[in-house]
Amino acid sequence: MEELKRITVKSWLKIFSIISLLDIALIWLLYYSLKHTKFNSLYIFYSFSFIFILLNLVYIRSVVKKLIQPLKFLWQTIAHLNQNSTVEKPDFNKLKTAKDLTINLADQIIQLFTIQQDKTKEQDQKSNGLNNNTVIKNIPVPFLILDNNENVLFANEALGKYIGMQTADIVNKNFYMIMDMSFPSEDTFDVWLKDSKQNTATSIKSWERVRLAVRDNHPVRLFDLAAYYNKDNPQNQTTLIILFDHTKQYMQDDQAISFVALGVHELRTPLTLLRGYVEALKEDLNNEQIDNQQVQSFLTKMDASAKQMTSFVNNILNVARIDNDQLELNLQSEDWPKIISDSVEAMRLRAKIRGIEITLDVAPDLPKVGVDRISIYEVISNLIDNAIKYSGQAKTINVKTYLNSEGLVETCVQDYGVGINENIMSNLFTKYYRDHNNRAQIGGTGLGLYLSKAIISAHDGNIWVTSKIGKGSNFYFTLVPFDKLNKEIKNTSSEEIVTTAHGWIKNHSLYRR
Amino acid sequence: MADSKNKRILIIEDEFLIGELYARALEKEGYQAELIIDGAEALKKAQTNEYDIILLDLMLPNLDGVEILKTLRNPELTPGFKAKVIITTNIEERKEIKKAIEKEADGYVIKADITPSELVSLVNSVNQ
Repeated sequence: MEELKRITVKSWLKIFSIISLLDIALIWLLYYSLKHTKFNSLYIFYSFSFIFILLNLVYIRSVVKKLIQPLKFLWQTIAHLNQNSTVEKPDFNKLKTAKDLTINLADQIIQLFTIQQDKTKEQDQKSNGLNNNTVIKNIPVPFLILDNNENVLFANEALGKYIGMQTADIVNKNFYMIMDMSFPSEDTFDVWLKDSKQNTATSIKSWERVRLAVRDNHPVRLFDLAAYYNKDNPQNQTTLIILFDHTKQYMQDDQAISFVALGVHELRTPLTLLRGYVEALKEDLNNEQIDNQQVQSFLTKMDASAKQMTSFVNNILNVARIDNDQLELNLQSEDWPKIISDSVEAMRLRAKIRGIEITLDVAPDLPKVGVDRISIYEVISNLIDNAIKYSGQAKTINVKTYLNSEGLVETCVQDYGVGINENIMSNLFTKYYRDHNNRAQIGGTGLGLYLSKAIISAHDGNIWVTSKIGKGSNFYFTLVPFDKLNKEIKNTSSEEIVTTAHGWIKNHSLYRR
Repeated sequence: MADSKNKRILIIEDEFLIGELYARALEKEGYQAELIIDGAEALKKAQTNEYDIILLDLMLPNLDGVEILKTLRNPELTPGFKAKVIITTNIEERKEIKKAIEKEADGYVIKADITPSELVSLVNSVNQ
């Protein structure tokens, strides 16, 4: 910084040397005039002296003025940076302070640099040089160190990556501002830290299933957290925090938990009805108020409830089979109009309870299809069940089946209900997927469409959907006519044993796995 | 013995058959029961303050039970609301939601755990 002072002095010397040169030139001119003139030499000497002094003054003034303006701005900038400055503010109105200003400026700059150096030193001491240690910085487990005021002293690269921030943006910030965490119980990190600070010198603790609040588009983070507190740690490094990522595992657990909760609802509903009707029938019998028609109606509804439970159990079982690659289909040549009308008939009561009519439109002369009767029934009942659940105020569901332009038997289940948002269409056939908007209002486990797609794919068919919000949805699936399927499979399969729910049979037609 | 004469009960239940069974059992006991399926319509009805007891399911089309309960218990949204509210559900709710419901409701029951006559006893005990 002494250099700065030297340079400043140097530039002043330069200015004075220019002035001196000018003065020497004038003196020389005066000497020349005095030697060769015919006028009174004293007169000339006075005139020259006057011009000499005037020129010097004007020159110095203009130079100083020019110098002081940028210096003033510079001084103000430096003073702004160096707010804790102890250097006195100069009086800008006095020109003679130009030199003082320059010296003052130099002092300011020196002070600013010294403070900055101290700060860097302090920072290094605080983090004990962690910021410069590449091995520690690159430890692949996310961790950070806090000072006694919960400010971040150090965060490694893995932590930055994990929470989606630059480490430079994390250091020196308040920990709770950087990481907004939610804990599964009231036993949280901040409670522990507060308690540790008040009551202990050193403490260690861990938490499971901590969730980081989602910021912008950063993905969900679920982890275990371990923390170590020691108030006597050197350089104010009081708290060490380590994160152990379990996002994938915990997300799967969450899905499984919510599946159990939703599954419980699906089973409890028909169970409630069965218990209700059993009680009603018992009461009627005890009071000898037997109304045959009513008994008949109760029994029909009980049957429907029991069937609902059966199909739910089958759904779960089939999903387990699909997941373990154990789904077995016994493809037979079947009369499709018969299967579809039986299936629709079985769903009519469920629809009627909600005031919904199902219409069935079957094209004539449909070829026989190769289907597994039990599995395909699951598909139709899942699609109609969805149509009922998502019908909203609409009172009609149409089921149509016809031969499409590719020679496949196509079936469409159409509702006029709430419809499906375009951006979630691609997720519909994913396991456990349910529309967020309707979760609190419509029951279901998120298995129906996943299962339907797997079954239809195993039949060599296709399943897809078209929909409009507020107008309703159309679910389509195709089945291959038996003749076509027969040709395809004859080439590949030999006689195999097919297991069924009731035992096993020797397969004489078609078998797929 | 609770007086069930002229007491009006609103059954908000999206499974029509369950609602029908409950209405049948309550009417036998002397209550006047009314059944409604749609959540949004149910809220409008409940806000008329014409009912003494409300049986409220949680999973409902158009407006869910938790929202209905919050609206009914908010004096700015439903002035003069005095009815007793019993939650009847088959959902296994999360802890936080259960706690919130505990504060606002007069009763909470899992439908599959009780028969219609047990529900009637529950309503009788609330109606005292």
